Amino acid sequence: MANKVLGLTAVDQTSLLRIAILGLISIVAIGSRLYSVIRFESVIHEFDPWFNYRTTRYLVNNGFDKFWNWFDETAWYPLGRVVGGTVYPGIMVTSATIYNALHMLNIPVDVRNVCVFLAPVFSAFTAIATYKLGKEVKNATAGLLAAAFIGVAPGYISRSVAGSYDNEGIAIFLLVFTFFLWLRSVRLGSAMYGALTAVFYFYMVSAWGGYVFIINLIPLHVFALLVMGRYSNRLYVAYSTFYVIGTLASMQIPFVGFQPTFTSEHMAALGTFGLLQLVAFANFVRTLLPDQHFQILLRGAVFSLFVVGVGGLVLLTMTGVIAPWTGRFYSLWDTGYAKIHIPIIASVSEHQPTAWPNFFFDLNMLIWLLPAGIYFSFRELTDNHVFLILYSIFAAYFAGVMVRLILTLTPIVCVMAGISMANIFETFLNVRNLPAVETDASTDTTGSGAAAISVSVAEAKEKKKTVDTQSTSSGLSAHTEAGSGSKKSGKKAKGSNKTASKASGTTGSKDAANEDASTLDAPLTAVTTSAAAAVRKPASKNQPPNPAMPAFSPKRLYALFPKIVVMANFLYFLCMFQWHCSWVTSSAYSSPSVVLASRSPDGSTHIIDDFREAYYWLRKNTKPDAKVLSWWDYGYQLAGMADRVTLVDNNTWNNTHIATVGKILASDENTAYELARRHDVDYVLVVFGGMIGYSGDDINKFLWMIRIAQGVYPDDVKESDFFNSQGQYAIGESASKTMLNSLMHKLCYYRFNEVMGPQAFDRVRKQKLPSSVTLDNFEEAYTTENWMVRIYKVKDLDNLGRSHRAVSVLEGPKTSRTMF
Amino acid sequence: MRIQWLLAVFVLLGVAAAAQQATGLVNTNLIRTVSLANLPYVMEQIGVVVQNDHSSKVFKTYTLPAVDALPLSSQQAFERKSGVELNIVDGKAVLKKPLQPGEKLSINVERVLYTGAMPVGRVGQTEDQVWEWPAQMVSSVYPIRKQKTVVSVPGEIKQHVNATVEGRKATFVAPGVIRFKANGVQLMATYRREYFVSHWANDLNILDHYDMRSLAPQPRASFDKVSQLMAKFMKTRDNFVKTLLVKVPREAREMYVVDEIGNVSTSLVASAREEFKVMQLRPRYPMLGGWNYTWWHGYSVPLTGYLRTEGTKYRLRVPFMGSIAGCAESQDQLTVAMAEARNTLVSQYELRVVLPEGAHDVSVRAAPTGDIRLVPLKYYLDSTGRTVVVVEARNVAPGMADQDVLVEYEYPGWALWQKPMVVGGVVFVLFMLASLVNRLHLGLATREAGIKS
Repeated sequence: MANKVLGLTAVDQTSLLRIAILGLISIVAIGSRLYSVIRFESVIHEFDPWFNYRTTRYLVNNGFDKFWNWFDETAWYPLGRVVGGTVYPGIMVTSATIYNALHMLNIPVDVRNVCVFLAPVFSAFTAIATYKLGKEVKNATAGLLAAAFIGVAPGYISRSVAGSYDNEGIAIFLLVFTFFLWLRSVRLGSAMYGALTAVFYFYMVSAWGGYVFIINLIPLHVFALLVMGRYSNRLYVAYSTFYVIGTLASMQIPFVGFQPTFTSEHMAALGTFGLLQLVAFANFVRTLLPDQHFQILLRGAVFSLFVVGVGGLVLLTMTGVIAPWTGRFYSLWDTGYAKIHIPIIASVSEHQPTAWPNFFFDLNMLIWLLPAGIYFSFRELTDNHVFLILYSIFAAYFAGVMVRLILTLTPIVCVMAGISMANIFETFLNVRNLPAVETDASTDTTGSGAAAISVSVAEAKEKKKTVDTQSTSSGLSAHTEAGSGSKKSGKKAKGSNKTASKASGTTGSKDAANEDASTLDAPLTAVTTSAAAAVRKPASKNQPPNPAMPAFSPKRLYALFPKIVVMANFLYFLCMFQWHCSWVTSSAYSSPSVVLASRSPDGSTHIIDDFREAYYWLRKNTKPDAKVLSWWDYGYQLAGMADRVTLVDNNTWNNTHIATVGKILASDENTAYELARRHDVDYVLVVFGGMIGYSGDDINKFLWMIRIAQGVYPDDVKESDFFNSQGQYAIGESASKTMLNSLMHKLCYYRFNEVMGPQAFDRVRKQKLPSSVTLDNFEEAYTTENWMVRIYKVKDLDNLGRSHRAVSVLEGPKTSRTMF
Repeated sequence: MRIQWLLAVFVLLGVAAAAQQATGLVNTNLIRTVSLANLPYVMEQIGVVVQNDHSSKVFKTYTLPAVDALPLSSQQAFERKSGVELNIVDGKAVLKKPLQPGEKLSINVERVLYTGAMPVGRVGQTEDQVWEWPAQMVSSVYPIRKQKTVVSVPGEIKQHVNATVEGRKATFVAPGVIRFKANGVQLMATYRREYFVSHWANDLNILDHYDMRSLAPQPRASFDKVSQLMAKFMKTRDNFVKTLLVKVPREAREMYVVDEIGNVSTSLVASAREEFKVMQLRPRYPMLGGWNYTWWHGYSVPLTGYLRTEGTKYRLRVPFMGSIAGCAESQDQLTVAMAEARNTLVSQYELRVVLPEGAHDVSVRAAPTGDIRLVPLKYYLDSTGRTVVVVEARNVAPGMADQDVLVEYEYPGWALWQKPMVVGGVVFVLFMLASLVNRLHLGLATREAGIKS
């Protein structure tokens, strides 16, 4: 293209355009993650982020050395926690670096804001990394589309909204970028890119436990290539460099340590490394030996190696040198495993198997573009495409097993969707090779082209005829795609309605969307189509511009028709996709869960801030070393917001300790009191939703506490005791005696019926309340506005050595009037 | 022999001491009036008639009667007849006219004391608070011939020792104690106020940081949610401090309330009167006796109302401190008068005025209690840094909220452009560097070849 715009050549124009598009994608990616800040505030969300935030603060305030050696005695009282050695420090170090850099530039931001906005900023980086990946495996168009998809895909947004300060926030960027570097190093056989892959792999190891995915997928890729007979020196260089540097680097993280040498998760990588050396050696030997000798040698070697290898592995695993797979990994193969063996893993909702609507909810149309992408990959099937196919299949499987692993599926789905869409665009936006009569038709005049297109749509509707006369160089697939697309739209051109299409947008139904697009939106989107064609032209192969030609010849319009219809459809899908993503983000993924919002009948929002009320009360009005007992869910928040000592927290490393807390909450008051005093507990905190109908409260989680406690103390706690005679999980009068006597039940319902009137009932369980709940050994210390958090003080021992029950009997019942 | 000498010295010393005591000033009549109506502040007025009993000595100063061992926030002395205020130096009032032998003078001493009353025991959530005030006699370096203390209290007097009680007044002529009902809110705070001056935005940003503690008696039993709810619905009184009222200027905007863990989203702003608005801050939790709450709030006002200029010389006049009033009433019962109540002691106060970058030759005139420093600070994208005026004070008197602090500084016109120029320059240099590095070709192959490969 010889045209110069603003003195830029076509190449410069495209790169400028690409940068501009990537910039816009980044802005959209960041922008759509800010709903939570706009709706609520710049606050750290949920549970784990509070720990990350707290450690980041510690790192910023005390420096890296202290952080590395930090023994946190306020967690897991009385055990404490070696934070430096049990943490993936990547995200904290990243934030602290950003924080220090900003302060060096005299931009005094609060560390909280760095943490809150870290994930959105990294999502922009992810978009850029995805662009690089897409460009690596296909072309810039695919890259840009993939970047646009990952920028807004809810599957990724769910873990990276502002305030969701968790490892995944930066890890997905690292995952994608590592894969990009890996593919490039395989393609180029470059040791430098191999080393860079290792560096980013190291960063990934330091940031997220999900690095195991990389260290299994890359060997798998190598193994698959070897099996396919695609061994090359490039592969050898890339993998050897990556594995050696990457593994050595990863061992520098204390939490990982020597795991790469003895755990099962890392064995595949080691084995593949060995295999690769053998194959390389075999290749080398083949150049020296005659073929026949080599065959014999190969057979013998393969057999003996297999026997030795498998035997050795089994032996080492049996003797315990190689650690067996951890529970979380077993649950990847058998979804029922965790529920039976490790209730603590099963009790976390994000470890549940995925329900199928989740895929549509999180990925929308991308989910059906994924198989298309795999198909296109198979058609080309370079080394890179083998990787993409493997990644797709494995990530799809894992996403089906565990809800949270949709996150690792999202990048590949976006890349695959980008490839599919790029293929579609290439085929259907190519208006140069139209029928021979009209070969020199023009596409330069966008306006007239658009007019022509809308006319053509009208004509096509009248004729209801499939037109597929083009003969392009893009081959078979383009034909079939075009044919099917236009057939559908041709058939269903009439009798559509808008509501159907709206529904279809959310469910991803293709047909309904087609109807709408072909009739209602076609003229409108057609304009965009041709505009897009004009815009994209510089990006495609550089061809000399056609001289201006009449755009209104009917034959040409027939040829254009299927293209227009297909593109209109896909543009409609793209619009719906964006709409869906924004909707999902704003409605489902932007709630901090620390602060809740309810909507009053008049439409105004009411903020429910009970959690922070309780935590702040603890922070300001209890002694600094007070020990607070609560279920482990609230441990990190207590440490972060209340700044008090906790017994258990979300780092569920010690099942026995958690079971002890479960036992305290499930026992009767006297047993619980003795246990609590033995653990130096000062306050007990429970979350109770019965007042305002908050269903995520402790009574609903209570069964899990019982199960976990039962796992360790089967003699003291029995799940069956907590069900009433009809086998129901009741809380009112009909509840079992054990249930009514349990500490959890008492702490939740203590004096609750006094404010709820004679028809008192629990708004979550929809059951009548027990008539009276007595409490002797604990006293109410604080209850929040909506009763959501109730804090009790463990009473001191009586001065005269009496039991608290005896004291309260002696002093008579507490004077209290009921409200009603 | 030696012993005799020693004895003689002792005798001489004794005589000298006796002579000094016997002759000099005498407080012939002393009446102390104490008002406990504004607890936690104790307002004290001492009227004293001083007589020079010495035969020849002339007195230029008068040592003021001693304060009970309580922190003093302000002290003033007047000559009663003329109403002239006397200077106080090291606890001594400098008399306008030396007191000649035999002469009499009436002096009024006005004081504000901190936390004079003590809570009696613990108190239930909805019970009345009972406070105790120990009445000690005034002591002075001069003999007191006659003295009397009259105490007025805000509520019913429950018990008294050594006092003559008449309604809500008790009179003491000897040390005694009274116990009385006082349900008013009493708070104590460590307070920091920061002003940020921005010439660019014509904006004066104000930040108030409080560490607040309720001085009410400790709760007797455990917290009782049920009775708290009942008091709320029945609109009966209880001992929770529920709202904090802050008067802010009418033109204040961009207000916010934040504490250590995030926004406090339960606050309102009411336009009270023509001249000011009232911010109604609701703490995350209502405060019982002994409970603490820390937060900060802020707002912006146009700078023009506070800054005067003469060429490159600027004069900034801002209030020395802000005022805050605690309220036990719930939000729908608030009145403007409550916002003007003075029930918060400020035991430590720090004022910081952050001047714009480039301001120099700073001079400060603040209330006499303050201890003034100038501190450098680097703030948003500063290159040379700016000056912060820091004024610290302890046990601030209630009247200080009405006083102003005056900061004068030179601010040349070009200083306004310093930051944009520096930032723009750095960005430009970075751009040029990046462009240069991009154009640099370090490989062996030619550029075209590089692109092709």
